[in-house]
Amino acid sequence: MSAPQINISDVASLARLTLTPEETAKFSAQLTQILGHMETLSQIATGAVPEVTPPAQPALRQDIPAPSLSIEAALSNAPAQANDLILVPRILE
Amino acid sequence: MSTPAKWEAVIGLEVHVQLLTQTKMFCGCINHYGDAPTSHVCPVCLGLPGSLPVPNEEAIRLTLLTGLMLGCNLAPVARFDRKNYFYPDMPKNYQISQYDDPLCAGGLVPLDPFLFPKEIQDTAEAKAGRSIRLTRIHLEEDVAKSFHFEDRSGIDFNRAGTPLMEIVSEADLRTPGEAFSFLGSLRQVLLAGHVSHADMEKGQMRCDVNVSVRPIGQKEFGTKVELKNLNSTSGVRRALTYEIARQIAACEKGEAIAHETRRWDDEAGATFTMRTKEKAHDYRYFPDPDLLPVRTDQGLLEAARTRLPELPTVLQSRLIQAFGVTAYQASVLGADRVLCAYFEKAAAQAKSKATVANWILNDFLSNQPDPATTPILPEFFGELADLVADGTINSAQAKKVFAELVTIPASPREIVKRLGLAQISDVSALGTYCDEAIAANPRSVEDYRAGKTNAINALKGFVMKKSQGKANPLQVDEILKAKLSA
Amino acid sequence: MSLAYETIATLRRRLLSKEIHPRDILKDLFTQIDAREKTLHAYTYLHRESALVAAEKADLSLPLGGIPIALKDNLNALGDPCTCASKILEGYKAPYDATAVSLLRQAGSILLGRTNMDEFAMGSSTENSALGLTRNPWDPTRIPGGSSGGSAAAVAGRIALAALGSDTGGSIRQPAALCGCVGLKPTYGRISRYGLVAFASSLDQIGPLTRTVEDSALLLSVLAGHDPRDNTTDLRPPEKFLTQKNGSVQGLRVGLPKEYFLPGMDSETESAIRSAADWFRKNGATLVDVSLPHTPTAIAVYYILATAEASANLARFDGVRYGRRATDARDVLDLYHRTRSEGFGAEVKRRIILGTFVLSQGYADAYYCQAQKVRALLRQDFEKAFTQCDLLLTPTSPEPAFPLGERTQDPLKMYLADVFTISTNLGGNGAISLPCGFTKSNLPIGLQLIGPRFGEETILRAAHDFEQAHDFFQRLPPS
Repeated sequence: MSAPQINISDVASLARLTLTPEETAKFSAQLTQILGHMETLSQIATGAVPEVTPPAQPALRQDIPAPSLSIEAALSNAPAQANDLILVPRILE
Repeated sequence: MSTPAKWEAVIGLEVHVQLLTQTKMFCGCINHYGDAPTSHVCPVCLGLPGSLPVPNEEAIRLTLLTGLMLGCNLAPVARFDRKNYFYPDMPKNYQISQYDDPLCAGGLVPLDPFLFPKEIQDTAEAKAGRSIRLTRIHLEEDVAKSFHFEDRSGIDFNRAGTPLMEIVSEADLRTPGEAFSFLGSLRQVLLAGHVSHADMEKGQMRCDVNVSVRPIGQKEFGTKVELKNLNSTSGVRRALTYEIARQIAACEKGEAIAHETRRWDDEAGATFTMRTKEKAHDYRYFPDPDLLPVRTDQGLLEAARTRLPELPTVLQSRLIQAFGVTAYQASVLGADRVLCAYFEKAAAQAKSKATVANWILNDFLSNQPDPATTPILPEFFGELADLVADGTINSAQAKKVFAELVTIPASPREIVKRLGLAQISDVSALGTYCDEAIAANPRSVEDYRAGKTNAINALKGFVMKKSQGKANPLQVDEILKAKLSA
Repeated sequence: MSLAYETIATLRRRLLSKEIHPRDILKDLFTQIDAREKTLHAYTYLHRESALVAAEKADLSLPLGGIPIALKDNLNALGDPCTCASKILEGYKAPYDATAVSLLRQAGSILLGRTNMDEFAMGSSTENSALGLTRNPWDPTRIPGGSSGGSAAAVAGRIALAALGSDTGGSIRQPAALCGCVGLKPTYGRISRYGLVAFASSLDQIGPLTRTVEDSALLLSVLAGHDPRDNTTDLRPPEKFLTQKNGSVQGLRVGLPKEYFLPGMDSETESAIRSAADWFRKNGATLVDVSLPHTPTAIAVYYILATAEASANLARFDGVRYGRRATDARDVLDLYHRTRSEGFGAEVKRRIILGTFVLSQGYADAYYCQAQKVRALLRQDFEKAFTQCDLLLTPTSPEPAFPLGERTQDPLKMYLADVFTISTNLGGNGAISLPCGFTKSNLPIGLQLIGPRFGEETILRAAHDFEQAHDFFQRLPPS
């Protein structure tokens, strides 16, 4: 497999980034180079690779309430708020 | 609803169910609605930088229990994935969900004929006894609640991160009535397991619908349309009825159905295009590295198994067999486990269990709707039914006793005594009343003897009045007839 | 001598003997900071007043009582900023403590300041900081390494006794090597990540940067242990590390992975590492040639998995709930785009795009899924190697500190700086970097000792013995 041509703007848009034309040009070249390096992986035979499984059962949380933040603390970093709601510009479907 | 004969609808449902846990899915904040905005949030459910999720074991147990109740295959290992998309109601801009390995796969929801809409319960559609296959059930976190104002939106994060179970059906449903019964029947199972209150109107159960139409006999599916904003089971039914008709009309005109999401407007009674699905979402699912796979076969599944309730279908057959109730009564009783337990206690010792069922489903429910808090002991119903059955009181008197029972909880026997209601069945006492009646109504006696048998009613009425309604009417009838023909 | 030059272990002894007071340590540190911080720019924030208040109330009976410690600026500490060296977290004040921070507080230590880093820990030079670059104390024209460059420069520059860093692909060990201090990346799951702003969740691990191995062990003893808030922490009971010292080298099997000694590598680095290996052999260790055959794939695997995870981890920075919010957005979508495009620096954007791409439809199988499979092979490499030896000995960095600006335009070359450190993150193993020599131009060279998972005690004992047999850790950068 050869390194694919990425449509940088489409991918950036998935990640909610808008790139300047300069960034688009620069990142395209750099990512092509990086992906080129990553092509080495396609050569690796991984047919019989066991799945990465954790050694132990993780600790789960019991269904017991723990303290929440105060409303004040929860909203302390909000860029815009009113009536204890965090405000955002209108949401378009 | 009548679908023109050459078309059939193909319907699949995605049902989201809020779980009855104390706390949220991945943090210890309280899982409760209707409180002050932003009062149940913490770094985890607010998606603050650096916070980490830890799974609520109870939510996993409840999902496994649901899988057990619906006959699903249960995954030995629970894995969580990240579903990536940006939306202001989702604090991390990814949702922790399950993608490749849902907790439950397969399963069936049997459609309860009595949970079809009332007016079609007698149709072949309702009586067909179909079961709807499930594709999967998985566990995820809910999003926050948005409030839309004119030029901006406000977000309350209390609901963000609460556990949500998604139940996906196969496209097995064919009619709006079946979809209606599916939701009702599923709800009965969820209630039985104490998994959720599953009330659609309270948002505890939410439903997206996929629907397409095709000519009967065609194997391929038509273009499917997703319906949103369905806030009640009857809304689902109405929306489907509308949408199926719309699609058929379009097809008959030779128009193509657009692959789109449509919004049901309950007031307008119609669906409207919300967005077209030209570009499929790319959710970029991948295993959430913050959450290690969880073995379900090390305690969780066993714990779920011990909570398996008697399933609605099993309960209904038992009620029919053990108590002689009708299938309809069994469905109504089965739909309310508290009422059902109350009924079973009431009917346990009663001689006529069907009478108890009638009492409870008619008189009791119209008077005292909450069997959980009623001061009337369930045993009283058995006693009341027995008093009627053994002729101590007649059914008119029983109604009086019941009216008393509702206000002053005392045993029916005591009430009968206190009101002096017991039927007079003593032949000599009744004979005296009858003699008085014959003596006081010579015209009626004459009429009767002349062949107007109805005239006996006046005599009976006299006896009942004299005895203050206590006379055993059957005996009175016999005695009067004997005396008049003598 | 200024107390700023002492180790934590020594200061603790002097505090307990009442010879000094915690405020004396702070006073000396601030004097040093005033003299050197202007050049180094190791800090993004200093707790000048609150540290002094804390010093007056310090409980010396606690294991770190009265000891000031610096935090990398990606660890949440209640009420303090936590910028991750990014514009996007402008104005954010943490409403909670990271578990590691709360453990430090419980152990009696004093928060001294917050250290500079590559934005969101993405980088190997600390040049990707939105808050200005940090300089290497040994040569201010050179990088301090990264991403925990501020922590390493502060400790090596004697303006901090110790600092916490985070290591996703070498971000503790590489700057420690380049600045000449001790950097420990514990086994994945050893220290809670709760409150550490995530870069790549399956690789991130918090660890100490210190002057000595003994101080490293002291901090690890405080920080290690299961945390109910971090599902990935190990369940084993708490341990105290390095309670027994010396004499650990006799009989030790030290593995030299051939993939870490490449033709054309920096000759001064190679000879320092070979001498270190020699020292182990002379002191009773057996040197074993081992192979970690999948090492050449590690960079590709790492940059696929780390950026994939990062693309999701950094999605939450959207201007909605905290941090910087772009003004005049038309709608929410516009708000996202503007906030994120204005708030993130070039390297972060580059990695988010790469990570988004490797997960996207049509490419996930070839990149993300394949990388997961190869990661499993890399893990197996380590498991196999540790059947043949007790520790692996390698260089930490292929070369000493490079000049500022040299690689900022060549991200791939920058990524290759992590070639010796990232495999251990992929394997989840613990590893330490400690000074093992200096170049002719007086730049530190770092030795890396890698252990089996949860083998920190073995690592620390061997590292301690090597360190105490040499004077590298005592050398001071030019002031």
